[in-house]
Amino acid sequence: MLPYPLLLIYRNFKRFKSTFFINLIGLSTGLACALLIYLWISDERSFDRYHALDGRLYQVLENRRTAAGIETQTGTVPLLAEALRREMPEIEFVATTTPVPFFPAFTLAAGGQHLTAVAKYADPSFFQLFSYPLLVGTPATVLRDKHAIVLSEALAIKLFQTPQNSLGKAVEWQMADRKQTCLVAGVFAGVPRNSSEQFDCVLPFASFKDQMQMSEAIKWDDDGPFNTYLALKKGADPAQFQAKLAGLLKTKSAQAQARGRTLFVRPFSAGYLHGTYENGVATGGRIAYVRLFALIAGLILVIASINFMNLFTAKASRRVKEVGIRKALGASRAALVGQYLTESVVMALLALVVAVGLVQLVLPQFSALTGKPLALRWEPQLVGASLALALGTGLLAGSYPAFYLSGFQPAAVLKGKLPTRAGDVWTRQGLVVLQFTLSVLFIVAVVVVNAQLAFVQRQPLGYDKAHVLRFDTGGKAARQQAAFLSEVKKLPGVVQASSVLGGFLGGRYVAEMSWRGKRLPVGTMLVNYDLLETMGLHLVAGRSFAPQFRADSAGIIVNQALVAGLGMPDPVGQRLDGARIVGVVRDFHYESLHEKIKPLLLRLDPQINTVLVKLQPSAEQATIARLQQLYAAYNPGFTLDYTFLDADYQAQYVAERRVAVLARYFAGLAILISALGLLGLAAFTAERRRKEIGIRKALGASELGIVWLLTSSLTRLVVVAIVLALPLSYLLLQRWLEGFAYRVAWQWWYFAAAGMGALLIAWLTVSVQAWRAARRNPVLSLRAE
Amino acid sequence: MLMIKTENLEKVYRTEEVQTKALHHVSLTVEPGEFVAIMGPSGCGKSTLLNLLGLLDEPDGGSLQLLGTETSRYSERQRAELRKRSLGFVFQSFNLIDELTVFENVELPLRYLGVGAAERRQRVEQVLERMQLLHRRNHFPLQLSGGQQQRVAVARAVVNAPPLLLADEPTGNLDSASGHDVLGLLTELNEAGTTVLMVTHSEHDARYARRVIRLLDGQVVLENSRSQF
Repeated sequence: MLPYPLLLIYRNFKRFKSTFFINLIGLSTGLACALLIYLWISDERSFDRYHALDGRLYQVLENRRTAAGIETQTGTVPLLAEALRREMPEIEFVATTTPVPFFPAFTLAAGGQHLTAVAKYADPSFFQLFSYPLLVGTPATVLRDKHAIVLSEALAIKLFQTPQNSLGKAVEWQMADRKQTCLVAGVFAGVPRNSSEQFDCVLPFASFKDQMQMSEAIKWDDDGPFNTYLALKKGADPAQFQAKLAGLLKTKSAQAQARGRTLFVRPFSAGYLHGTYENGVATGGRIAYVRLFALIAGLILVIASINFMNLFTAKASRRVKEVGIRKALGASRAALVGQYLTESVVMALLALVVAVGLVQLVLPQFSALTGKPLALRWEPQLVGASLALALGTGLLAGSYPAFYLSGFQPAAVLKGKLPTRAGDVWTRQGLVVLQFTLSVLFIVAVVVVNAQLAFVQRQPLGYDKAHVLRFDTGGKAARQQAAFLSEVKKLPGVVQASSVLGGFLGGRYVAEMSWRGKRLPVGTMLVNYDLLETMGLHLVAGRSFAPQFRADSAGIIVNQALVAGLGMPDPVGQRLDGARIVGVVRDFHYESLHEKIKPLLLRLDPQINTVLVKLQPSAEQATIARLQQLYAAYNPGFTLDYTFLDADYQAQYVAERRVAVLARYFAGLAILISALGLLGLAAFTAERRRKEIGIRKALGASELGIVWLLTSSLTRLVVVAIVLALPLSYLLLQRWLEGFAYRVAWQWWYFAAAGMGALLIAWLTVSVQAWRAARRNPVLSLRAE
Repeated sequence: MLMIKTENLEKVYRTEEVQTKALHHVSLTVEPGEFVAIMGPSGCGKSTLLNLLGLLDEPDGGSLQLLGTETSRYSERQRAELRKRSLGFVFQSFNLIDELTVFENVELPLRYLGVGAAERRQRVEQVLERMQLLHRRNHFPLQLSGGQQQRVAVARAVVNAPPLLLADEPTGNLDSASGHDVLGLLTELNEAGTTVLMVTHSEHDARYARRVIRLLDGQVVLENSRSQF
């Protein structure tokens, strides 16, 4: 026997089966969407939060005044950590590290095995600051020795079978033309997936300083590319510390004061989601997508809730008598509100059960789509969130019907006739309009996001990204870079080859340069001979680097943005930052289209080891096989890990591509749920107007006329929704597009397609019902009265 | 203390263009223990008066005292409170809730009064037995005859032993045998002490009452006791 409220709900569901199923489908798909988005958001929010000191863990950032405004960067001077340790007693631990993208992959060799690995250099307190549990070694001492190396568990197992076995063993690392032998001092469990930085081994920063002979050379005036992290002592006041830190650079360097350089700290775990700064102010970052998806989840639940509200109030005519009876028997309004809210909450909880099933079903695809291995783990947080979602949805969906139904005067409704109140009709129509406004908004979003992605593919980039292979060399190939490259160029199927520091795409190291009193932040790309030819870059003046010009080692090639920025009338031959300009290259998109093309100079460095090879289109596979052979001949035991530049280019838009796919799914769902609601509403309209339809037919109305009668009012609502949605979608999507420095132009047909799409779907949904009503024998309808 | 006292009770129905006076200066009194019939032709305001007396609707003017308390300015909450404690209703169209069984329909007023489950069961069974409906306790209203449904409605109206029972054309949807049966029940209840106020347009039914109030066009035109019939 069910408890009394559940029994009532069960009988009501049985009585209105189609409404029940429409609500169940709508609410459960809505809740499934919300749950999926919740899983994604909680994964995003978990990034970098697993450290025991989280909450006291900070990264030091630097603001600096430039002509273009305040620039914020994570790079700090390497003297900083030592000064902080000495001068700021509120700090518990502080460490300098090299940023992970600073180096290409290292090659580690031990016992005849060669492996590539991502390495970073860090101060000894690194393992005290960050929670990477050590399986071998102790956090305080593991990085103390200059010749130490700390391996991840996976790496230690690959090289030495077990973590314990690797302690004290020699490992030789190579990176570009450098190599060194060090001893394994520790093994850490590895970097969790939800870490913003992934690396396989850690080396002592002291040994990096030695190799670079930094100790004598560094000054406080320098721009440092290094990261500084710190943990405050328990109870230390971050605001007070912040105030002290802001004034630190001024006391160290007159130049820092002149250039308006100030330091500040950001909670370490905030960096992943709040990584973007504009003019010195945090403006978001990935958090924008977290908010966007949370909003989408909310909107889909609103759409599903509206179905519930509309169908509930539409069928009110059949329940209203019950309200009268209950009130006559002494039910208070609160008791009735409680009854109807319980009904909607139970409905939502039922939908939650179905939603969990749906989530289980689509989770593998959703994980693939988002690039995250998401899973439903029923921890208290997820249980709480699911119940809160269902409860919130139930209360939202039930609130309007509950207050609407319970508000009738018993005398007015005891005869079973629903008093028509203009406000109620408006509310119901307003809800349909709101539902379709959101649906049209989703459709426009799908169209615009896809148009922008197509634009990204079409946009001339200033270089040719097709058939370009990219790989990092190691070992002998790196040490004899020139010989290796010249042999690569001779391989059949290779058009041209060159190399560039850290890859062709992505942000560059930026420093301020001046020319005739004008200052400009300029990015630097270190390149080898033949880069322009390999990448299809166009010279607009001067020449490319060439071995026969020995002075090219002190020469630079600049882009048009640099020439324009400094206002150079005749750039070739001018001197900038101690180097002579030998050529001007047409502007090219070395960053994603989110960024404007910024001033850039190319500096020659024949030693750099990220190799780019332009292949002939016809025989790529055979050419790659030859390259692998050649590489193996230089480096027996090494594997050639390569990517295509085209894929690297696409990877820049991975977030947008995900948004595009998700927007498509969510738009589809929004439309499906809205259409279901419309279907239910159309059925009730046809039912309510049955007698009217009978009379009209008896008086000679055609079936088509009846269909029009029933569809026209709903059509009007959808048209109003379209009119409202179009400017709204323009405003919202224009903001999204503004995230791109280069963006697609709005076309009238984006709106026309979205509007027509919504209208067509609405018509198809409603006309089926209308047609059935129109074909009914009028005698039956009239007799029923 | 009078059971009902109205003075100049007014009720006006308004649409955008037309204003209809449904009740005009209606003043009447009902003593505890009376059985009063309100009679009159269709549209004379009988049901409107009953709705006002039952606090199912609000008057537009005048005074309405129930059990010695002025109720014309009561809030919705106060009216609901008085309804569940002191009033029972029997309607022409039975007004049972189709989704509830006979037992559940009858126990509804007790639920709203917050009576505990065990006592509810006992009182419902008692009243169903008195109405000879105990064997139908698990049936749904649509499985019963009209007469049986109205008996359920009477059972529901009296289960919380209200001092005042309001009946709106209680035999209107019944055959004469069932009608007689229901009127017998009302008389029985009246003899046991319940005040009964019944709206009817049937002279036959009105004979069960001890006093008749006649309405025409929203006004009381005649009051006579049974001896004056």
